[in-house]
Amino acid sequence: MRRAFLGEFEEIVLLVVAACPAEAYGVTIWEDLQQQTGRSITMSAVHATLYRLEEKGFLSSTMGGATAERGGRRKRFFTLTALGVRALNDVQQVRSRLWQAIPPGKFQLIGG
Amino acid sequence: MKKQPIPPRWADWLLEVFVAPPLREDVQGDLHEVFYKRTEQEGLSKARREFIWAVLHYINPYFFKARQRTNRQSDYPSPSYLHPAMLRNYLTIALRTLAHNKAYSIINVVGLSIGLAAAMLIILYTKDEVSYDRFHTNNPNLYRITSRDITPGDQKPSYNTNTGIFQGPKFTAGTPEIQSFVRFQSGQSDIRQGNEVKSQEMFSTDPEFFQLFSFPLLSGDPKTALSRPKTVVISEDMAEKQFGTTDALGKIMFIKTEAQFEPYTVTGVAVKCPQNSSIKFDVLLPITVSKEDIARSDNWFSFFLNTFVLVRPNANIKAVEATMNRIYQTDAKNTILEMAKKFGIKSKTIYSLQPLTEMHLSTDLPVNNGLVDESRPTFSYILSGIALFVLLIACINFVNLTVARSLKRAKEIGVRKVVGGGRNQLIIQFLGESFLLCFVAFVLAIVLLLLVLPTFNQLANKALSFAYLLDVKLIAGYIGLFLVTGLLAGFYPAIVLSGFSPVQSLYSRFRFAGRNYLQRGLIVLQFSLASFLIVATLTINSQLNYLTTKSLGYDDRNLVAVNKSSLNHSEARLLKSELMKFPTIVDVAPKNRGFWGTVAKVNGEKQLSFAYETVDEMYLPLLKIPILAGRNFSPDFPSDSTQSVLVNESFVKEAGWKNPIGQEVNFFAYEIPERYKVIGVVKDYHFAALNQKIRPQLFTMKPKNDFGKAFVKIKPHTETESLRAIEQTFKKLFPINPYSYSFLDQDNLKKYESEAKWRQIMLFGAILTIFISCIGLLGLATLAAERRTKEIGIRKVLGASVSSIVQLLSSDFLRLVGFSFVLAFPAAYFAIDKWLENYPYRIEISAWTFALAALLAILIAFFTVSFQSIRAAMSNPVKSLRSE
Repeated sequence: MRRAFLGEFEEIVLLVVAACPAEAYGVTIWEDLQQQTGRSITMSAVHATLYRLEEKGFLSSTMGGATAERGGRRKRFFTLTALGVRALNDVQQVRSRLWQAIPPGKFQLIGG
Repeated sequence: MKKQPIPPRWADWLLEVFVAPPLREDVQGDLHEVFYKRTEQEGLSKARREFIWAVLHYINPYFFKARQRTNRQSDYPSPSYLHPAMLRNYLTIALRTLAHNKAYSIINVVGLSIGLAAAMLIILYTKDEVSYDRFHTNNPNLYRITSRDITPGDQKPSYNTNTGIFQGPKFTAGTPEIQSFVRFQSGQSDIRQGNEVKSQEMFSTDPEFFQLFSFPLLSGDPKTALSRPKTVVISEDMAEKQFGTTDALGKIMFIKTEAQFEPYTVTGVAVKCPQNSSIKFDVLLPITVSKEDIARSDNWFSFFLNTFVLVRPNANIKAVEATMNRIYQTDAKNTILEMAKKFGIKSKTIYSLQPLTEMHLSTDLPVNNGLVDESRPTFSYILSGIALFVLLIACINFVNLTVARSLKRAKEIGVRKVVGGGRNQLIIQFLGESFLLCFVAFVLAIVLLLLVLPTFNQLANKALSFAYLLDVKLIAGYIGLFLVTGLLAGFYPAIVLSGFSPVQSLYSRFRFAGRNYLQRGLIVLQFSLASFLIVATLTINSQLNYLTTKSLGYDDRNLVAVNKSSLNHSEARLLKSELMKFPTIVDVAPKNRGFWGTVAKVNGEKQLSFAYETVDEMYLPLLKIPILAGRNFSPDFPSDSTQSVLVNESFVKEAGWKNPIGQEVNFFAYEIPERYKVIGVVKDYHFAALNQKIRPQLFTMKPKNDFGKAFVKIKPHTETESLRAIEQTFKKLFPINPYSYSFLDQDNLKKYESEAKWRQIMLFGAILTIFISCIGLLGLATLAAERRTKEIGIRKVLGASVSSIVQLLSSDFLRLVGFSFVLAFPAAYFAIDKWLENYPYRIEISAWTFALAALLAILIAFFTVSFQSIRAAMSNPVKSLRSE
């Protein structure tokens, strides 16, 4: 099985795309990201990550139709690929396994 | 309405520069969207600041380098013009169009390949011409000593390419810049070959010969090969002939240079001289100069050999020449004065150096006296001209036909443009097609070249081979020729066709506006060139006919010339009495060999130079040369041989005699001056070739002058018996002399070989030009007929006759051909007038030549055009009108 190498930011971007109810493109993803994480993120970081994820095959993109509001430029819509879904599942499984491995009561000891 | 806010232009521009095209649209779109949103939320200035800040983050290699990635493809890709798929498409379309229009394709390819082959041939020829004598490693420091005589009052100096025995050694001794010299003297000597005796051309030269010139030796030491007397260097051919092997070093050859055969040791066998060498030897002997000759300082005035010198690199040639002339003036001072007094010579001799490589094509200082392959630069020029003509015409055809054919391809171009074909793309397509055709033509041209090379070699008297082509410069030249031709042929169609407006070209009534002028102009040009060449060919032909058929003033039929060196008067009498025993022999008359010339004084002081012929009393009657006044030599007057001469009309005229009989000719130049009385005047006859004017001529019977040959008049149609008789007699009387004979009328024809060659080459050029012009015309006529199919159909339905339609289709072209004469004939008149000036005896330029040329051109053009137009006129109108 191919291991999914996902960075933290990549994982979040992928999750945002997955969570997006409507068609996801640069601006919506950027806004959701900021909203969800509360961090200030530059647009270029979002774009670079999206394209990289596409190169890795976790995302696919299609160009939409011509638009009126942005100088007629088309939007690039991103959707999750099967590979992307599997990668997210992998990550989640690893995490839940690790969560389960934490001895009960350990957090109370540390956190108080 | 509020003005729409826009993001800062420079930032936008920056974004376009730094984000690669595949990402540009959506990135820019996203940023703009955010900008508009923020403008509404926070105001313009903040939005602008944020936009700029965001844009700056895109300036990094990731966005700049982003390429078309595997799963990122533009939905509407615009591939490059040279995308493999497009190239394949161009090729398919090109082959389809070619296959669809077989006639045009063949015309184009054949025309171009003939043009190219002609050009290649000429490049070969000129390359060979200019390559003469360039293979010597000592070039460019090799020179030949030449001189010119300047007579006060005469504008044109008389040039002399020969030198004597002194110039070489004395100039070399006195001029430090001259490293060494080689004298090269040609002669004819007998050699013994098995039991036979053969006359062989031999050269005498100095031992440094093989150091100066780069003639490699198969065996033998080049440094010492000719340093001892009675040694000989022979060519491999000669060794093969003489000894049956090239391994001939140390073998003995018997050569008769003086009175008898003497043994010569072979000290070297030389590789065959290159074809492009002015020096071609089979036998080389060491030069021998007797002590008496060296002592006689009047040998400064005896010119009979070629002297070559090797000058130090970077020497100032002007200074070397000046030194040479100083040496001459000092060394020969007394002799010059003496000769001036004795012979009244007023001219001054100035020596100069001629680069070895310039010898071959020099007009003033040609190669002679043993040096071979004299050539004229005009020959190269004319040939290059013809090749250029032919290539030009082939290109014209190509352009003409392609542009004409474009009428049919207008729709293709329209469709290509509508589906997004750019102008550049079309230009590439059409240029590519022309290069494709050009390439095919090139291959065909090489095949053609290989086929005609042997014939051409024979015509041009060359030994060119295809291997000559394999030379870096030439290959570069051919590639250049290929590119230029392809470009020339494809450029105009490419530019014109790609400029069509798709709307116009898809609208079927599309017509080309300016095209007709170009096409017409090109036809006129083609036929001008063709008719020019026709006129030239006709003129050369009639001049040659004139030269070969004009009466020479004597009867050269059934005359056999037999050569015998130093045939003295008693031997001549013996030969005659022996030969007269045979019934087929009419008579025999001896004469000196070659052309002798001398000077004598007439009317007391006047000096006259003339041809000096030693004959006997039979010569004039035998050749049927009439005597106009006085009488011939006669045995009845025994004093004739010592006191009398005959002269020709030109002599009388030059001397200015009213009453020539009894006048005195004073041979003052002899040791003891001799005086002769003129006893008769001979009618002028062409003793030299017809391209020379008849000079004064004098006949003597002086017993001291040896004859060199005998003319034997034989009865007609008895060649076999007579020749056998002559040979038997000759071998019986002169067993150690080589026997050779020739028929005088054949010898006379040989004098016009160069004219005959000219005629052949001109004819060749004219036929080529006409042929290529005609196939071009045929193509255009076909197109015209095709374009007017419907018109012809309607005319026929309305009752037009075949002849009227043929006339309709042909008259246009014939008018153009007629117009071409206006251009061609003045140029042709000028050119042939100049050419004919070379001949003192020439034809008049007649209007008939031009009329004939015009008739020929029109007939050929009419035939070509009618070939198509008759077919079009005969076609069934039902077919042409139904095909809507």
